[in-house]
Amino acid sequence: MIEKEKLRSYAHKLMFDMKEEEYETLQKEFEVILKQMEKIENIPNIKNIKPMTFPFRLDKKRKLREDEIGDYLTVGEVLENAKHQVNDQVKVPKVVE
Amino acid sequence: MIRELHEKLEKEEVTKEELFEEAKTLAEKYQEEFNSFVTILDEAKSKRRADSILKGIPYALKDNISTSGILTTASSNILKDYVPVYDATVYQKLKKSGAVLLGKTTLDELAMGGTGTTANTGVVRNPWNREHLIGGSSAGSASAVALGIVPFAIGSDTGDSIRKPASFGGVVGFKPTYGRISRYGLFAFASSLDHVGVFARSVEDVAIVTDIIKGEDSKDMTSLEDDGKVYAEEIKKDTTGKKLFYIKEICDIEEYPNKTEKLEKTLKEFQDLLEKCREQGFVVEEVSFDKKLLEAIYPTYMTISCAEATSNNANLTGIQFGPRGNGENIEEMMFQARTEGFSELIKRRFVLGSYILQKENQEKLYLNACRIRRLIVEKMNELLKEYDGMILPASGGGAPKFSESSEQVSDSHYILENHMVIGNFGGFPSITIPYCFDEEKMPVGVNITGRVMEDDVVLNIAYKIETLTGLKGIKAGEENV
Repeated sequence: MIEKEKLRSYAHKLMFDMKEEEYETLQKEFEVILKQMEKIENIPNIKNIKPMTFPFRLDKKRKLREDEIGDYLTVGEVLENAKHQVNDQVKVPKVVE
Repeated sequence: MIRELHEKLEKEEVTKEELFEEAKTLAEKYQEEFNSFVTILDEAKSKRRADSILKGIPYALKDNISTSGILTTASSNILKDYVPVYDATVYQKLKKSGAVLLGKTTLDELAMGGTGTTANTGVVRNPWNREHLIGGSSAGSASAVALGIVPFAIGSDTGDSIRKPASFGGVVGFKPTYGRISRYGLFAFASSLDHVGVFARSVEDVAIVTDIIKGEDSKDMTSLEDDGKVYAEEIKKDTTGKKLFYIKEICDIEEYPNKTEKLEKTLKEFQDLLEKCREQGFVVEEVSFDKKLLEAIYPTYMTISCAEATSNNANLTGIQFGPRGNGENIEEMMFQARTEGFSELIKRRFVLGSYILQKENQEKLYLNACRIRRLIVEKMNELLKEYDGMILPASGGGAPKFSESSEQVSDSHYILENHMVIGNFGGFPSITIPYCFDEEKMPVGVNITGRVMEDDVVLNIAYKIETLTGLKGIKAGEENV
C-alpha cells in the first residue's frame, strides 16, 4: 500500500492539504488505481510508439498571426476580482525582507 | 423545438420576453428539486438586430463558460464569487445570434466528475426519477433540457461529459470534432481532450445550434477553419449504404461475467435497433477490438486527464481572484485558499495527477498512457477507413440511483461505461440520442462516433436513426417530476 506520507507530500507539492480520514480514503483508492494502472503497463511493445498529446495531425499550414492590437482588458477589469489592491496592482504580503 | 419556436416568434404569436418568462418560471419551479442552475438571470437580454434562427430563443450555458458580468463558479468554492470580465467565444456567438441566456448550469466541480453529485451547491437530480442521478459533468445542462426548461443548452465534454448525461437524461448530446467549436473562455480541465458541445431534444436542434457556434477563432489556436457546411441541411441527406460497426467485446452479453437483467435488456434493445437500421439501408457489421486496449481506456483517460488537470488548475490560488486564504506570506495564503477551496474529490484527482507526473512515473504512466491513446486512435482510424461510423450503447442501462453510485475510482468499471472517451482521445465527432428505456423506466442513449472533420456525416446518420427509435423529442413529463 502506498504510504500516507507520500500522498501528503504529493498534496503539499500542489499547495493544499487534506484531512487525515481523506488521506485514508485516498490510500484505499490508490490500491484500486494502481491495479488499474497495471492495464497500461500490460500493453506490450509500446516503447517505440510516439506519445500522442493532440487528437489528430493538422495538415494545414499554421502561420503566426500578424502582431495587431486586438481587444484587451483594462487594468481595472483585470483587478476586478482581486480582493486586495493597491496602486493598480494586486496587494500581497511583503515578499522581500 | 427550435424551428417551431422561431416560426412562432416570426409570426409574433409569442415574444422573446414571454419565452424567457416561461423558461424562467419553469427553472425556478424545478430548481429546489433538481438543482439544474447555479444562476438564473432576472431579465432577457439579447441583440435586437440579430436575424438568426436562434433570435429570441432562451438557452442555458454550463457554469464553466466565461460570461462577462455574470457569476461563473465552475460549481467550486474556489470560484464561488468569480465574475468574469470577458466572454467565451461560444457565448459571444450566441449573443450575436440573438439567443437569450436564461442561466448558468450546475456541473461536477471543475467538470471533473461523471455523476452530477459533486457541485458545491449540491446534487443534480434526474428529471425522469429524482432517486436517480443524471450523470455529469454537464449535469445541469442535461437536466434543464430534459425538463423542457430550455430547448437547448451548452456543455463541455472531456471524457463523455455531454454524451453520458444526455443518455441518462433522455436528450441528444453532441460533441463535434476537436476544435470545431472554440474553447476560448471554457475553463480548461484537460486541454487535449476538452470540447464544447450542445444538448437539445432533437438532432436537428443540435445541428442548428452547432451551425451558429462553430468556426475558427483567433483566440483559440486549436480551433478549426470552418468547413462551410450547413449541418441543419446536411442532416437530411440519404443515408442508404452508410456503413456502421459495433464492437463485439462491448456488445456481446457473454463477455460479461456479472451480467444483469438491465444490461441484457440494453444490449438486446441495441441489437433490435441495429436491425431497424439494416432495414433502412444501413450496413451494420460486428468488429473485434483488442480487449487489452479496451480495458486500458479508463486508466489511460484517468492518467492523461488528471495530469493535465493538475497543471491547468494551478492558476486557482485565491490571489488574483477567488476567496483569499490567510497567511503571513503568499505561499501560506495559496495553501490555505486551495485547501479550503477544493472539495475532497478534486483533491484526490489532483494528488493522482501529481503522482503521475512525478519524475519516476512519467515514463511508465504518463507517456505510456499517451502511447496507448495513439494505439486506440489508430485502431479507430483504421476501422473508419472502411466504416462511416461506430455505433454503441452509451451505457449499460439508464442512470443509476444515488445509492448505487460513487465517484470513487472502482475496479468494476465496464468497458461499456467508458468507451465514449475514445471520441476525446481522437477528437472524433460523437453524438448520443435516446433509444430505449430500461426496466426502471430510465432512458438509455445510443452513441454514434465518426471520422474527424465529418461532423455532418455523424449528424446525418443520427438524424436518420432518430426516426427509428420512436423517441424523438421526448421530455420528462409532469408524471415524472
